[in-house]
Amino acid sequence: MEDHLQNLYEVLSKVEGYVYPNEIELNWSILIVLYPYITGLVAGAFILASLERIFKIKVLKPTYGIALLTAFSFMLVATMPLVSHLGKPLRAYEIMITPHSSSAMAIFGFVYLWYLMVVLFLEIWFDYRRDMVIWGNESKGVKRFLYKLLSLWTTDISPKAVALDDRIGYIVTVIGIPSAFLLHGYVGFIFGSIKANPWWSTVLMPVIFLFSAMVSGIALVMLIYIVLTKVRKQLIDMECLDTIAKYLFYILVIDFALEGLDQIHRIYVAEESFEALHKLVFGKLFYTLFIYQGLLGTVVPLLTLGTLQFYKPKASIRKIIYIILPVLVLMGIFFMRWNVVIGGQLFSKSFYGYTTFKTGLIGMEGYLMAATWLIIPFLILSFLLWLLPPWNKIETSHE
Amino acid sequence: MPQHIKRLISVFAIFIVLFLVMRQVLKPSSFGKLGHFRADAIYENTLKPMHYTIADSCTKCHKSVRAEKDKGFHKRLKCEVCHGPGLKHSLFAEQFKGKELPDSLKLYKPGERKDCGVCHQKNAARIKIQFDTINTTMVHQIDLAEHNPPDLKANEPANCIDCHNPHQP
Repeated sequence: MEDHLQNLYEVLSKVEGYVYPNEIELNWSILIVLYPYITGLVAGAFILASLERIFKIKVLKPTYGIALLTAFSFMLVATMPLVSHLGKPLRAYEIMITPHSSSAMAIFGFVYLWYLMVVLFLEIWFDYRRDMVIWGNESKGVKRFLYKLLSLWTTDISPKAVALDDRIGYIVTVIGIPSAFLLHGYVGFIFGSIKANPWWSTVLMPVIFLFSAMVSGIALVMLIYIVLTKVRKQLIDMECLDTIAKYLFYILVIDFALEGLDQIHRIYVAEESFEALHKLVFGKLFYTLFIYQGLLGTVVPLLTLGTLQFYKPKASIRKIIYIILPVLVLMGIFFMRWNVVIGGQLFSKSFYGYTTFKTGLIGMEGYLMAATWLIIPFLILSFLLWLLPPWNKIETSHE
Repeated sequence: MPQHIKRLISVFAIFIVLFLVMRQVLKPSSFGKLGHFRADAIYENTLKPMHYTIADSCTKCHKSVRAEKDKGFHKRLKCEVCHGPGLKHSLFAEQFKGKELPDSLKLYKPGERKDCGVCHQKNAARIKIQFDTINTTMVHQIDLAEHNPPDLKANEPANCIDCHNPHQP
């Protein structure tokens, strides 16, 4: 029986103050941080693509295809952190085949399938069909077969058919915008509806998640665009980058205002949980919240982008800024997810104690596993860019 | 309808039919029996080994201890809080009446300062109130470093149970 107590002493060394027994270990680890992060990138990238298509912001044209393929690559991997977190890969499909409207978790099957199959898949398919037919006729071997398969062995590329594709693609994008909002609002909803947790339980949560998603998605596409153009040894379209930066700035302002509003509201109403959260924020979350998310991930990009709106340094300097800023923003949004997911589990619901989050480098829930799920979407994206290069497409005006 | 739209609709139709077939084939057999979940999950949980028992099974043999405990501050604590999981002990210890218990059936006998300290070590996060009634739900907080510290020179451990009866502290 000594072992039993020895174990207890070890466990208690992770704890400060008073916590309930089921709060000592964090059940939602770094992989659950990744899940909203990746779905956020999907929603954000899609919304950037729809800016070009629906709102007819023509300068963004060079990023349209990249944004769509980025959204698709990340969407394919979005569920994987959850699957590896749950540790029952053979049962992973069950959530997809047994969706139910009574629970935010169980409705996942509907939301995911709708967004992946109906929105992203269809939009990309209609956008690329004509090009796939042409490329299929021009290429050989496996690539030819892939194009034929993906275009479903269709051959009709008459102007009428292409116009129809364009029309349907437009309708899909129109449906896609609320769907992207739904997808990421839904992820925020899961957290916001956990009423037992005062760090999560706020109706603003879906909206905050949504805007932070847009911020991260736009930053990611901006970065990918710059890197791709460099790799392809092409000229970077500065007007396009300036416009993306402008939208990034607008949405960052909204995101910052919403998160600020959430915090001010917390401070003003100062519910019974306030003292515990105050200690959490200035203690265990100090670096991740104030330094990484707040200062480096929000304030610095906000000030820089704000300055760029009325003072434009020469292109070479702007280019460097446009490489550094997305990295900062992407890091900031990652830590935003971290602060929500991990932060919400660090304090006891008794409000009298805190626990510690430790995770290893290896193992099913380790940092390497998390890094793997962040790298795989880029591999998928590289494959998709090889197969469906947006820059080789025949110009369509999307009118 | 153009050819490619027809093909696309067929692909979606195939996908939906496949999905429905998959749903029929892959859905766990006990799914939906008791609600929107796999009913066997409950059964599988019952197969996990049990470690703890109920307080009454201790009272069966240890009546006097229970009577003593019921008069003191510890009356709300289950025996297993201090003595560890006791299901095996409660089921098989009676067979060894009058004989030495095998180690696997022995329960933990806490008696050192650290044992009582698990609950009673002073902790700023625990609510401090006056301890005057036996019905209080709060835990008495003791600074183990100051309260009757062990005399290290004389090598005397000064355990809590030297002065306090743990069953009726």
